Amino acid sequence: MSEMVARYLPYIVIVNFLLVASLLVVLGRQATARPLTELPDGRQNAAELVLDWFLAQARRIHPPSVTIIVPFLATLFLLILFSNLLAVLPVPILKIPPTSYFSGPLALALIAVVGAILICARIRGAWATVKHSFWPNPLQLVAEVSHTLSLSLRLYGNIGGEFIVASLATQAVPYGIPLIIHALGLIPAAVQPMVFTLLTVSFLATAVPAERRPREHPGEEIARAR
Amino acid sequence: MKDILLIFIPTLTLVPTAVAAALAMRKISSTALDGMTRQPEIAGQLFTSMLVSLALVEALVIYCLVVALMLAAKV
Repeated sequence: MSEMVARYLPYIVIVNFLLVASLLVVLGRQATARPLTELPDGRQNAAELVLDWFLAQARRIHPPSVTIIVPFLATLFLLILFSNLLAVLPVPILKIPPTSYFSGPLALALIAVVGAILICARIRGAWATVKHSFWPNPLQLVAEVSHTLSLSLRLYGNIGGEFIVASLATQAVPYGIPLIIHALGLIPAAVQPMVFTLLTVSFLATAVPAERRPREHPGEEIARAR
Repeated sequence: MKDILLIFIPTLTLVPTAVAAALAMRKISSTALDGMTRQPEIAGQLFTSMLVSLALVEALVIYCLVVALMLAAKV
């Protein structure tokens, strides 16, 4: 079994990523199926809670471009969070989190960095973005590559490390201890997507110049986004 | 000899880094908690900054883990 898993691991990672993405699409459709109400019910409350945090982060970067930045950040966050949470599922192949194999976090980090550059190009213009990569510091380009590596290694180290420790503990003591390790593993599983998103926010914030302008009511941006 | 190196190289690479990172994380967490208790109104902002700082420190340990794994693979 383990030999088969090792052999087909890259495919398992892709399939698990696709499953998580499909689940997110279904949840997104469910959350936005009914029109918004003045008095939100449980589902709308949960969706607004997630959205509010991203709105606050996006407002810190560039208030007029909230509708471009929020979907990008929220997709990254939710994809990583749900991928990490696969580790607690008691299903043999499905329980391998895609973020515990280095290609998964590397793909996510590349998406984050390239996406941030594209968002910056959309807000500031392509020429200003290219100029930002070389001027005033020509080593800025190297920083972008190292940013990709640091983002991917951090996620892989945390989630992959926890997964390896849980596997070793399961081999040594099959009952009891793995439950504790999985319970403790929920902490990095929830914190790491937040860290990943916050670092992407800081990367975007350095690329996009801050604009000072009076804060709007959060409802106006949501209404405009719709 | 190879087995001994295989044990010692990752250990000697990781342990000092982990100790230094633990000390740095202790300082970051205690200072952030201090700030949160003094000014609860900015606790949210402090928590976010604390998480980012902890992640930056933690990244160093993970880099060392990768270096240690690469060294172990070379032995």
